[in-house]
Amino acid sequence: MKLFTYLSELLGRKVYFENKQYAGKVCDISMRLNEAVFPMAEYFIIQKGVFKKQYAKIYLNVIKRVGYRIKLNIDRSKMEYSKDSIRPEFSLCFDILDQQVVDMNDQKVVRVNDVHLMMVDRQLYLAHVDVGLRGLIRRLEWTGFVDFIVKLFAPEAKYLKQEELISWKNTHVLTLGRTKNVIRSDIVRNRLAKIPAAELADIMEDLDVFDKLSLFKTFSVDLQRKVFADMAIQEKEELVDHLGDREAGDLLENIPADEATDLLHNLPKEKTKQLMRFMHSKTSKKLRMLLGYAQDTAGGLMTTEYLYLGADALVKDAIQKIKDNVDYPGNLFHIYIVDEKHALKGITSLRHFINKDPSRPLMEACYPSDVFVRLDDGMEEVALLLEKYKFSSIPVLDEYGILQGAITSDDVMEELITLTWKKYKDQI
Amino acid sequence: MNQLFVKIRNSKAARHVFLFLAVMGPGIITANVDNDAGGIATYSMAGAHFGYTLLWSLIPITIALIIVQEMCARMAVATGKGLADLIRENYGVKVTFYMMLTLFFVNLSNAMAEFAGIAVSLEIFHISKFISVPISAFFVWMLVVKGTYKSVEKIFLFACLFYVAYVISGFIAKPDWSDVLKQTVTPSFNWTLDYTVMLVGLVGTTIAPWMQFYLQSSIVEKGVTIEEYRHLRIDVVAGCIIAPIIAFFIVVACAATMFHAGITIESAQDAALALKPLAGNYASWLFAFGLFNASIFAASVLPLSTAYSICEGLGWDAGVDKRFEEAPQFFWLYAAMIIIGAGVVLLPNFPLFKVMYFSQVGNGVLLPFILIYMLRLINNKDIMGEFVNSKGLNIIAWVTVFIIITLTLIMVGFTVFLPGKAL
Repeated sequence: MKLFTYLSELLGRKVYFENKQYAGKVCDISMRLNEAVFPMAEYFIIQKGVFKKQYAKIYLNVIKRVGYRIKLNIDRSKMEYSKDSIRPEFSLCFDILDQQVVDMNDQKVVRVNDVHLMMVDRQLYLAHVDVGLRGLIRRLEWTGFVDFIVKLFAPEAKYLKQEELISWKNTHVLTLGRTKNVIRSDIVRNRLAKIPAAELADIMEDLDVFDKLSLFKTFSVDLQRKVFADMAIQEKEELVDHLGDREAGDLLENIPADEATDLLHNLPKEKTKQLMRFMHSKTSKKLRMLLGYAQDTAGGLMTTEYLYLGADALVKDAIQKIKDNVDYPGNLFHIYIVDEKHALKGITSLRHFINKDPSRPLMEACYPSDVFVRLDDGMEEVALLLEKYKFSSIPVLDEYGILQGAITSDDVMEELITLTWKKYKDQI
Repeated sequence: MNQLFVKIRNSKAARHVFLFLAVMGPGIITANVDNDAGGIATYSMAGAHFGYTLLWSLIPITIALIIVQEMCARMAVATGKGLADLIRENYGVKVTFYMMLTLFFVNLSNAMAEFAGIAVSLEIFHISKFISVPISAFFVWMLVVKGTYKSVEKIFLFACLFYVAYVISGFIAKPDWSDVLKQTVTPSFNWTLDYTVMLVGLVGTTIAPWMQFYLQSSIVEKGVTIEEYRHLRIDVVAGCIIAPIIAFFIVVACAATMFHAGITIESAQDAALALKPLAGNYASWLFAFGLFNASIFAASVLPLSTAYSICEGLGWDAGVDKRFEEAPQFFWLYAAMIIIGAGVVLLPNFPLFKVMYFSQVGNGVLLPFILIYMLRLINNKDIMGEFVNSKGLNIIAWVTVFIIITLTLIMVGFTVFLPGKAL
């Protein structure tokens, strides 16, 4: 058999038993669900009969030769036919052929016209998807005719040589629809997890909004959160606008509260209200509070996600706290120490207590707690303080000294960059 | 006063109205485009030749239209994909390709009919077709190339308002309203050949293949979500009711005048001209203006819808906001529809009649496939999830589709064997 073959050439091919008895014709190929770069074929599905159709699986080890006809090295008695059609978890015909995929290199959505398979060591691998015109014409079984015509009029035509193949490595299968959250096979999801979120966000940037949406829905909740964090604010708005209210609500619940607030600030009031209805009352209460502050004050900048412990906590409690919260979206290095009224008593950072005796009180490994900002302090003040003390985050207190939230330097940075840009643009 | 505003803004009813206004468009536009040059000709002839006796058929036609269009809208919202997409993904490339090939030629001949409609309607106002057709073609091109989906939709919705011209000409024609009402609610069926041909023609012109593709794609492009579906359904149903109402007034206007005077007509411009001595200049002008509006409206939608469906099905990039290099097939198809559609109207002695004949047959052959695929898709739980047809609706839908298919096939039979009568 040739090294490379097309799925369209295998489909419909006749299969015979060892004794030359007709077994059926190929109607689909099931692929292995593993995390290999190029998935391997598990079995062919064959079908026979016209009115009473019968289906059977042929595993690759019983195939003797793949030629114009496919010959098996077993006979009829070893084959089990079933009356129901076989629907594998990951099938070339159902999950790849004619479906839409994202071409990760060119960042566009294309439709698969054919599948390019590679035969090595009696194993069949999914190597490329064909998205070109030649693939389309091959599927229509017009290749001979069209090639003849083209050769007649334009023997140098690009069409004759150019195959538009995309390596399987660089493709991502889209879900069935943007309104459904199910992905057809887990394999694609696992593969995605290996691509850094920032890169995925870049890929998304070039897609139009619907393709963006379909791609986004194939991500796991965790990946969605990460990719979302890396997107530009206009893109986030667009996405939230096009997601269903429930999905958007779920998403906002999973991202840091300050980011969610920024986003909600820019949405119409009506939409904000709608989204809040799909969040836990705790989250929506928090967001509603944050929305109450002007965007460029400490209250508007802060997040309500921060780590805190009681005044009687020990150093080992702090270490445990950080260990328990590795996945925490907020700042991980600072822990605030509060009394029973949630008034700020001390600030400590990982650097301060990591080498301390675990059984000592945490209060002994503290900065003074007089570095803080008030809810209505301006952004400039926040920036100045952060710079002065070289802190990566700073607590926000209300007029009674109660801890309300924390601001991290990247939040301020983001606002400042936007501001600088605006000023720069105004000057031009 | 201020308090009143706040009260209105916060009321539940107002919220529903706003939500409806936000999703309104696809259903109303699709149904109205359906009253295009060919549709108006058919309705005019139905009125002129059979008086009010065919009015009753508009009620079952409305119901059938609602059932079919609602399914399309539901598929669009539940899957977020166009009909061509779904057919490609579930029935393969071969079926899709031949379907799209037929759709292209059928829609192309429809586009020719629309440009011919523009030409003849403006000739009534003494504007030469050598001026009106190129300008219209240019307008259609610019409208879509320079516009965005939102702006184009607004223009289309605005164009829907002008259909009121037919309602007014219906009133100017001074019909005997009690007779009209009686005939509308009492089916009268006579088995003469001409009557049957006309009845089948009415169904054929109202439920066309391109509508299903266009409606579904425009809902997807608009990005209507599942939460908004309730309001979208109102839009779709409203469209399916408004369009036959316009048809009703066209039939009435022609029946009250030409049928009573015993004048036979062959086309929509015959109808406009015949109205002049019978109902006065204004009725004639309104009728011609309505024809112009309908033709240019459909001439804007058809090429776009065709290019979209074909690119969708065959996996090519599509979209008016793309550059030519990004979506060459899309722009070629779009340009071909406009240039050929408008160009042939300017050719002397172009056999438009033969083209229409072909288009009727093509439509008739295509429609059964599309409707059956639609029904199979909408009952597929893998695709539709909880949005599959309910059992009751399914029975109604299959019966409706069966009747439409039967009538369509009868029409194809008429067109092939009695070409003189079926048009």
